[in-house]
Amino acid sequence: MSTKKVIETKTLGRTFKNGEIEVRALTDIDLIIEEGEFVALMGASGSGKSTLLHIIGCLDRPTKGEYYLDGVDVNELNKNQLADIRNQKIGFIFQSYNLLSRTTALENVELPLIYDRTGRFTDSTALAKKALEQVGLADRIYHRTNELSGGQQQRVAIARALVNNPALILADEPTGNLDSVTSIDIADLFVQLNNEGKTILMITHEPDIAQFAKRMVYLRDGRILTDTIIEDRSTKESALKALEKPVTT
Amino acid sequence: MRRFLKIFKVAFHSIYKNRTRSLLTMLGIIIGVGAVIMTISAGEGATMAVENQISGLGTNLLMIQTKSEHKAGINVRMGKPIDHKDLEVLQKNSVWMPRLSPLLAIGAQAIGPSGYKSTMVYGVAYDYFYITSRELQSGNFFTEEDVRTAKKYCVIGETIREKLFPGQDPIGKQIRIDKIPFTVIGLLTEEGTGGMQDMDDIVLAPHTTIQNRLYGHQRGYTMIMASALSEDHISDAKIEATGLLRESHKIKAEDEDDFEIMTQVELQEITSNITGILTILLGAVASISLIVGGIGIMNIMLVSVTERTREIGTRLAIGARESDILTQFLIEAIVLSLVGGLLGVVFGIIGNQIIYKVTDFFIPTAFYSIAIGFGFAALVGVTFGYFPAKKAAKLNPIDALRYE
Repeated sequence: MSTKKVIETKTLGRTFKNGEIEVRALTDIDLIIEEGEFVALMGASGSGKSTLLHIIGCLDRPTKGEYYLDGVDVNELNKNQLADIRNQKIGFIFQSYNLLSRTTALENVELPLIYDRTGRFTDSTALAKKALEQVGLADRIYHRTNELSGGQQQRVAIARALVNNPALILADEPTGNLDSVTSIDIADLFVQLNNEGKTILMITHEPDIAQFAKRMVYLRDGRILTDTIIEDRSTKESALKALEKPVTT
Repeated sequence: MRRFLKIFKVAFHSIYKNRTRSLLTMLGIIIGVGAVIMTISAGEGATMAVENQISGLGTNLLMIQTKSEHKAGINVRMGKPIDHKDLEVLQKNSVWMPRLSPLLAIGAQAIGPSGYKSTMVYGVAYDYFYITSRELQSGNFFTEEDVRTAKKYCVIGETIREKLFPGQDPIGKQIRIDKIPFTVIGLLTEEGTGGMQDMDDIVLAPHTTIQNRLYGHQRGYTMIMASALSEDHISDAKIEATGLLRESHKIKAEDEDDFEIMTQVELQEITSNITGILTILLGAVASISLIVGGIGIMNIMLVSVTERTREIGTRLAIGARESDILTQFLIEAIVLSLVGGLLGVVFGIIGNQIIYKVTDFFIPTAFYSIAIGFGFAALVGVTFGYFPAKKAAKLNPIDALRYE
């Protein structure tokens, strides 16, 4: 089995300066995520998980430590190179989808390819269509995003994250705006994509969604509290069944 | 290049998505460019009208006058008056000026059988008709013989005929100018109004008659008009006339001329300078509206950047460089101002047509005014689009993504 490290951080730290006050958002994060993993990143608000996601997503830089993304030392890169690496190696999924309104699903999915500077994609429309098929929206290609349901919009966003064939998919509370059943659908879609070989790092607040992942990293006060392999992973069926149970207190 | 085209498409798309707002934004530019085109064209039209009038004055014309200076707003004659001796010197010795005529201008009341009009009466010689190339619609010019014998004949313009002889043939009829009766022997072909002066509000009579009967107490002429042999010899004629007159006025080498010679070419230059300055002035005023239009674009672009903060954050997150965002917003501003400029050109041309229809004042739409209006619109787009675009590009992606 190949053990290619997609993410490797060494004693990573991030300190925010607010005037005289220093806030340590992250301290000594040593995290390795290998190719093909599906990791749920959990923690209370303020635990530093968003900061970690931003650093991993090359939107922010650590103030301490090292970070290698797909073998590239990110600390060495300038602004433009960071933009290019986001474009080539990362697919972002947001809680509120962040799609362009009054724009078709296809055009939204094509968006990352506009900014591609490698010239590795020749037919962006075909790639975007393929990505939309992958997320089960083949029949919604020409719908405008405001004509789609929340779940469908998040699928468009996932297709957008897939279209540039990234090394890593980063999802920031992807089910935060969705109802339970749709959330399970989206989580199941992540499982499918993971089965197809995609490496996924997903922030979530919801334990039942985290249960779909293979591994769970729990942050508290900017440090990794636990890092565990999930034994009894949820499936779509088991999660839907669990929904039917009356809430016991 | 392909990426640039795609970014261009993105910019165009977002303009189209907000078409009502885009149109309102463009309104400032539309009006600005339209105003620039209309004012510059109006200036051109005025210049053309004045130039037509000046070229209507005659061919290869030279006007020889006593030197005058503006003093406290009044024209004061400085030198010896130009008179019949000067005319004789020129007639005897000139090589380059085959046609010469004195001109005595007086304002007078012309009274006919059915009306009267205060007008300009010009005492001239026979050559005047050649020099000014005026033609007759009926009757005859007075002859050299008529001038020599100081006949009380006159040739009148169309405006005079309308006032004094409405609906009648004036030839052979009598009019009175300051109580002196004159016989009308010719009617000038209409020249039309040029803008400054009605070229048909005119009475021409032999200068001898005018001098004897109306002008007697004054010795000099208003001016001597001459026509040079050809266009190429206008400056030769001027040099010749200057030499002859200096000699006959006995002006020492170190002294200045006590007369002025104005050629038609110089007159044209002076007037086109004046109208040119007027055109620039009007254009500058119109340009201010373009700048205001540009501020409008900047304002809307700033609103747009704030409104689309999350979109910008998303674009940055999925790999847009700062320069991509800058390009996108800059293109948006430029496209807005260029499309506005294009509509402004149409608006300006239509405006010119409407003015022509309503006032009969023809305004040729000057091509260069379109270029200026359009170029200025593009400049405004770049200038006022840059600041909002820079603001968009400099957004921190994390803050932009969190923006509510």
